Amino acid sequence: MSELDAPATGISEEKAGSPVPAPAEADPVAPIPAGSMRARDAMISGALAGLAGGAAFGATMAIQGQLATAASIVHTDNVVVGLAVHMVIATILGAGFGLLLMARQRPRAGETVFWGLIYGAFWWFLGPQTLLPLLLGKPVAWNLAGAQALLPSLMGHLLYGAVTGIAFVVLQQDTDPLWHRPSRSEILRGLVAGLAIGLALGLPWEGLIAGAGYALLFSPESTGPALIRGTVYGFAWWVFAALTVEPLLFDVTLDWSQKSAAADAHLMPAYVLLGAGVAVLYTWLGLLAKVLFTDDIRLVRADAAGRRGLLALGYGALSGLAGGLVFTVVMVAVGEFPLVARMIGSQSPVAGFVVHMVIAQILGVSYAVLFRRRSFDLTSGIGWGLSYGFFWWVLGNLTLLPLFTGTPTDWSAAGIAAGFPSLVGHLAYGAALGAVYHRLEARANPWWQTRSKAAAERAVARRDQIRGAAPAMWVFTVLIALIIPLLVGAS
Amino acid sequence: MGLNFQKSFRVIPGVRMTLGWGAVAGLVAALPVGVLMATQHMVAGFPGWLTFVAYALVIGVVLGAVARGARQGLAMTASAGVLLGTLGWLVYSLTVEPLVHGQLPTWSAASAARTYPELVGDILHGGLTGFLLHFLAGAWALKERVRQWPEQRARIVVVGGGFAGVSAAQRFEKLVLRGAKLDVTLVSDSNFLLFTPMLAEVASGALEPAHISAPIRSAAAHTTFLYGRVDRIDPAVREVVLDSGESLRYDHLVLAVGSVPHTFGLPGIDEHSFPLKNLADAIELRNHVLLMLEAADRETDPRTRRELLTFVVAGAGFAGTETVAELFDLVHGVSHYYPGIAPDEPRFVLVHAGERILPELGPELAAYSMERLAARGIEHRLNMRVTEAAEDLVRLGNDELIPTRTFVWTAGNKPTPLIPDLATDTSLRAIGLEDVWAVGDCARIPDPLREGEFYPPTAQHALRQGKAVADNVALVVAGRSPLEFRFRTVGVLVALGHRTAAAEIRGRRFAGLVAWLLWRGIYLSKLPGVEKRLRVLFDWTLDLVFPRDIVVTSAAPRRSKVRAR
Repeated sequence: MSELDAPATGISEEKAGSPVPAPAEADPVAPIPAGSMRARDAMISGALAGLAGGAAFGATMAIQGQLATAASIVHTDNVVVGLAVHMVIATILGAGFGLLLMARQRPRAGETVFWGLIYGAFWWFLGPQTLLPLLLGKPVAWNLAGAQALLPSLMGHLLYGAVTGIAFVVLQQDTDPLWHRPSRSEILRGLVAGLAIGLALGLPWEGLIAGAGYALLFSPESTGPALIRGTVYGFAWWVFAALTVEPLLFDVTLDWSQKSAAADAHLMPAYVLLGAGVAVLYTWLGLLAKVLFTDDIRLVRADAAGRRGLLALGYGALSGLAGGLVFTVVMVAVGEFPLVARMIGSQSPVAGFVVHMVIAQILGVSYAVLFRRRSFDLTSGIGWGLSYGFFWWVLGNLTLLPLFTGTPTDWSAAGIAAGFPSLVGHLAYGAALGAVYHRLEARANPWWQTRSKAAAERAVARRDQIRGAAPAMWVFTVLIALIIPLLVGAS
Repeated sequence: MGLNFQKSFRVIPGVRMTLGWGAVAGLVAALPVGVLMATQHMVAGFPGWLTFVAYALVIGVVLGAVARGARQGLAMTASAGVLLGTLGWLVYSLTVEPLVHGQLPTWSAASAARTYPELVGDILHGGLTGFLLHFLAGAWALKERVRQWPEQRARIVVVGGGFAGVSAAQRFEKLVLRGAKLDVTLVSDSNFLLFTPMLAEVASGALEPAHISAPIRSAAAHTTFLYGRVDRIDPAVREVVLDSGESLRYDHLVLAVGSVPHTFGLPGIDEHSFPLKNLADAIELRNHVLLMLEAADRETDPRTRRELLTFVVAGAGFAGTETVAELFDLVHGVSHYYPGIAPDEPRFVLVHAGERILPELGPELAAYSMERLAARGIEHRLNMRVTEAAEDLVRLGNDELIPTRTFVWTAGNKPTPLIPDLATDTSLRAIGLEDVWAVGDCARIPDPLREGEFYPPTAQHALRQGKAVADNVALVVAGRSPLEFRFRTVGVLVALGHRTAAAEIRGRRFAGLVAWLLWRGIYLSKLPGVEKRLRVLFDWTLDLVFPRDIVVTSAAPRRSKVRAR
């Protein structure tokens, strides 16, 4: 497994790979990190974690009576055999998950859970949609109707991934705390944030629990990344609360079928906004508490906002313009400018274009505020941008646009499907925004280029923090953004 | 400048290779996916296969470019592949394919649903590509690591923290960002970049000293900064030796040490004149003038009063002219605090060796400037040199004695004597020294546009020379030949005190309030950093509604000159 050891050589190796080589003096001393594991350990704890994930997935399959599907692989319909087959597969996949994450250093549950989610989602494509029909000798259909029928399986795969991700950390911990242990004030902050956002969205109880859960699960993060994390967290809450717990509690059944998911689709934007809102409010309340009650300047902030901050805002506006122009292509094709123009009481497409570009710029500036010094290469820039674009599709297109134009808000499955072109536009906008902003930032003031050793260590730490979970979040955001409207909405 | 550093990418030999491995991974991953798609009749016929192969190739190459080998770990590379697959579906299946078929893309849910099979295929293909790429590139990197030589960066030492030195350092930072292999150290005996055009305003108390200076550590944040004075330079062994005894090795040395006041060995001038080259000079001059006023307020002896209240400036270039005008503003701006001083008592004299003041300006503007100064009562002595200075008087060339205790010397500068008689060729290389470059006031730099002439020692030239020298050093390091430095003066601006200035920009002349507004606007925009611009703007704004400050900030004024009774 010598090839597998290659990525584990540590920070200096990663630094050498940065698009812009840092000056020699910035290179931190790079010992081989103590937290990275050997392949065998990773496989064993991965397999055990997979067993745990498989158990959770298996339970939901048992409730929904789907274990026979797994049994069909060995050409029987015995439920017990099906469970056994399922668990074996889950264990093997878990070992693969362990290998996948082997190079991560001291991952936390709040990070691996996202890797688990994306791992589960990928296997939904590869497993039930591809390999299973192949093994059964059926044609590989890959059609939407088939995928819609497999929606319960997708939810199961996500559950499997999430449980495996958490269990993986639990199993391979040695000395580090399992997760960032929240203080009492943090949980209180989570409760307050959850209640406030929950009340605004009409989900007070769910908000309360989601707020506390957010504080429990995740370590502190700056607003932008927290927003993206909250978006994914909110989506998970939709699956957890609306699709799982509610039917379990009230109807004592578990129904993840396309029909019931479509019926609850109107809650998906609400939960996504709930998660994102909780994350942002939680972070801001934390900042406020820091500003008011912290007397140690070392804890407050390392870089003053005024330094090159104005430049960053300008770059944000510029990137927003670039993104807005890309989005314009979609807007023209769909003919949405007259609708946008109604925000200022006009009907003309030109007014719509102007409003659109102004919004694009404002969002670009907000991107600069939220994601300044958070992208370290083009991929991360595009990743943040895509995720931010998805968030604004939910908040902007599905929620605020109807509100401002006086049309009824339609969060139903059909409404979500109707917003699909706009989703594509928002993703394109985000990608262009993030890419251009990263280029501008890299040109003017790359934060990963540092002078002192302390600053270099901070930069490496921040990059590792971003790499901890963010790539999984970007990919997962884009995946759910594209497939959920299709699976739930398209008929 | 459009320098192309792609050619000097020696140290990343793998760029083409990682792209190549990406292409291989993309194609290999396309095999199983393509077979599956064929069962679906999604890919059929010759053109279909060709586009699929092209798609797989593009995805592989892009992934190879973003993943940069195996460094990011399997999870990152594989997930990047999945992301790229979904984006590929958006771009190809939802956008390009309808266009190819002559339809406008709709991006509707219906069209997405129709192409859903391709989405599955693309996601699987992307994930598989990432998976393969990680192992392919990883195996290759292991083999390659043995062959890689350690990264070599050319050591650049910049001496001097003025306009030329700092602008060179900033340009070097940009070039490093673009891939130049440089390791830059800046040595300066002050840790800030002084905005000299506003120095006279500091001397007059209109601006705070710290507001016209920016820390070098923040102005060139990615350059190694070394606080210290250079003692000597040893070009033979390529070494810069500091006062502290520390020595720095260099591959290329950029000298931007500026100039120092030159008094031509005239008696008494060194001891009894105030230079105006740096922040300390300006602060000292301001404190001294205020102490003169404090002393004059209660002085009864008329001769001593004359000495205390006479202010002489030698040299009527930009610095001298602006200084005399600013001193006039300072003295009259605070005179209401000193009831013992009559308004017509303070005397200001500008001594100049040339035929007209401000030789850098055209004759008309120079005449205008002199007329404005004279209208305020500022005297001038043209075609005249100061020959001697004492504690309480200066002697002019015609033996006229002016009793004064405030004598400002701006009549002569010479290059900092680190390397005697420093001259460069047109591409800023120091003549007679290997791999030594010189910019700014410290060297004679020939102007290729005007035969036999040298560039004037002004900030706008120093800034451009700093930039050009950085480009040239990077070119030489990359094994190419340096470019000639060509720059035509944009314009000249001189402030003449309260609400008046003269300016010549691109051949157009301005005077009076317009020129004054231009002066303030242009120099404000040239200040290093938004913060300093805001602070100076606040200083100027507050100056409109509050009187000047008369706080004397230095503990040790020149006692001999004050000599109160």
